[in-house]
Amino acid sequence: MDTVLEVNDVFKHFGAVRAVDGVSFGVRRGTISGLLGRNGAGKTTTLRMVTGVFLPDRGRVELFGGPGPASRDRVAYLPEERGLYRKMKLVEQLLFLAEIKGRSPRAMRPAAERWLRRFELWDKRDVKVEELSKGNQQKLQLAGALLFDPELVILDEPMSGLDPVNVVLVRRLLAELRSEGRTILLSTHMMGEAEKLCEEIVLIHGGRVVLSGALADVKGAGGRKAVHLEFEGDGSFLTAVAGVSGGQVDTNRAELSLAPGADAQEVLAAALPRLAIRRFEVVAPSLEEVFIEAVGGETLAGGRDGEAAAAAPATGGRS
Amino acid sequence: MKKLFAVLKREYLQTVRKPSFLVMTLLAPFLMGALMFIPSLIALKGLGEKKVAVIDGTGRLAGAVGSLTREEPTPAGDGRSAFGDKRQGGAGRIVPEYVAATGADPKAEAAPYLERLTSESVPKARRLDGVLLVPAGAFEDPSTRLVYYSRSATDFLVQERLGRLVNRALARQRLTARGLDPKELDGLLADLRVDSVQVTRSGRQKKGGEANFLVAMVFLVMLFFPALLYGQEVMRGVIQEKTDRIVEILISSMTPMELLSGKILGMAAIGLTQVAVWIAMGAGMALYAAQGVAAAGIEMSTFLRPSVAVSFTVFFVLGYLIYVCVYAAGGAMVNSEKEAQQVLTPVVLILMVPWFLVMPILMSPDSPMSVALSLFPLYTPTTMFVRILVSEPPAWQVAASIALSVATVWGMLWTTAKVFRVGLLSYGKRPTVQELWRWLKVA
Repeated sequence: MDTVLEVNDVFKHFGAVRAVDGVSFGVRRGTISGLLGRNGAGKTTTLRMVTGVFLPDRGRVELFGGPGPASRDRVAYLPEERGLYRKMKLVEQLLFLAEIKGRSPRAMRPAAERWLRRFELWDKRDVKVEELSKGNQQKLQLAGALLFDPELVILDEPMSGLDPVNVVLVRRLLAELRSEGRTILLSTHMMGEAEKLCEEIVLIHGGRVVLSGALADVKGAGGRKAVHLEFEGDGSFLTAVAGVSGGQVDTNRAELSLAPGADAQEVLAAALPRLAIRRFEVVAPSLEEVFIEAVGGETLAGGRDGEAAAAAPATGGRS
Repeated sequence: MKKLFAVLKREYLQTVRKPSFLVMTLLAPFLMGALMFIPSLIALKGLGEKKVAVIDGTGRLAGAVGSLTREEPTPAGDGRSAFGDKRQGGAGRIVPEYVAATGADPKAEAAPYLERLTSESVPKARRLDGVLLVPAGAFEDPSTRLVYYSRSATDFLVQERLGRLVNRALARQRLTARGLDPKELDGLLADLRVDSVQVTRSGRQKKGGEANFLVAMVFLVMLFFPALLYGQEVMRGVIQEKTDRIVEILISSMTPMELLSGKILGMAAIGLTQVAVWIAMGAGMALYAAQGVAAAGIEMSTFLRPSVAVSFTVFFVLGYLIYVCVYAAGGAMVNSEKEAQQVLTPVVLILMVPWFLVMPILMSPDSPMSVALSLFPLYTPTTMFVRILVSEPPAWQVAASIALSVATVWGMLWTTAKVFRVGLLSYGKRPTVQELWRWLKVA
């Protein structure tokens, strides 16, 4: 397997805070991988260690089969927060960002023009960065990260701060980058977004990997299923039905996850006498459900068990 | 190297293109000149007239005191008043009021004049600024003391000038009383002027006067101020990159050492540009005013030797780099401009030490203190340059100073790079000394 990035048991503690507490995962060439987790889970710290901004307290990061710094010019990084010189003009800014990746600014000028046109910023090329809207700054930053033709693109929360139109634009862009053979690693806390974009998932929580692997494998882990119901009537009893391990019941709709081996038909049978069912569907659980299940289990079971649970799928995912 | 150059180029272009840079570069020499000359101008003209009553118990001083009325204020010390002899001019014009008090008790005689010195009710035209009391015994008794009354405790310029005038007049009269020809007295009492000649190892002799201090100061200002100014610029830049989070992209693309070296060398290039412009402007003006300079007794050849140009460039660059490094380290440690202000004061004080000690170093450039300072890492470039300017330090000391400076710059860069890597990204509190030390060991 052609692995572009290999993160091997890295730790980063800030005083008493264990931001990253033994994270391992790999990213294969030509895939879109997602680093998922809630705010404060350790996503950004992990990405910073991958990009060499932080040095890990312990553990190793390998890029393209070697130590990180050697191949930093093949890696693009889009930090979560805007990182641009406020007083620089757009074109200058882009060329500088390419220059610090070792590219000649003269050779990069056509690429800069191409990207600015694509993001509808070409008219503003001589404007100072500080005069741009936040969304436009985000796009400029993205252009700066992609301009120099990187092989691995690392994006920290790429969708945050974008309006729906730009979210679609970026989503299409990522698919395009992948079709060009580039590798993408992004972090996000929006499970729905990850489900649309990513082929590989690394779920982290409390600085540790909880689940990882191909999206389909993660969702199908344990052969679980979920049931989606639309109905009229009071559905609050649904979570108590035998075979239902959890879920969310709203006024007209319920998403229930099933215990391993449970039969969805029995849930339907239990619901029919008490509700007017308008729709009934058996599906693979959403990433959100998988996540809540995995994390909820850990929080309930406490530290030691959680660690064991975290270690097992992590190794499985990397094989 | 490519990335270092990219950072250097960015720093340079972004600063040089600012209008403030142009204004600063063109105006600074005039501001500097104004700062040096305006106080002496004020001291000369601004003091205006001083009305002084001279109560003469000897009755012999009428002529001498009267001569004050005819005397015009001396022009600004034949071009060297900024530094030189303030006693000759500088006190403004003295308007004397002579009172012969022979026979009477001069003290009693003085009472109404003292009243005019202090009382608020006296009309402005009649108010006095000083009263000099010359007792009757002043002619015969060498233990007699003159008394000068004034409202201000620091009116010593007028006091000294009057004192000298009276003493000279009395001396002349004593000598005349012993039968000397008053016409010969001027020649006999004339002070001889001292010309200073510096003898160097190479056997060359250089003439220079007090005014050479002035030129040395100009050089020093050129050494210090760009460094202090652009050092702050570096500090601000470092903090800015931190608050704007650009630093994450920078550090993910290059080593902290490359980043810092690029920034600092960029600042050095800016400083050199500025000094080059200043030197060009100075040379232009000197050419224009060549005659005036020669008349002022400033031996320009003392300073405008090729060797001075070389050592100025070398020590300017080294001194500048050290200072800017200190600022960069400060910037790496703090998180906001506000915190930076607190760090700035001690930093500037530390860096200004040679500035405060310039006079002693200029006076005795080869004293143990001067030598020690010129071989102390932080201060070696500036102080060694001063010594080279006015003296001829042994070659090994100059070499040691250059080596020490280079080592200091490198060491500071290395240390700052480490602090930078950890400090730049640790948001929140400013680190304690213990934390800094830990960073240095760990990072």
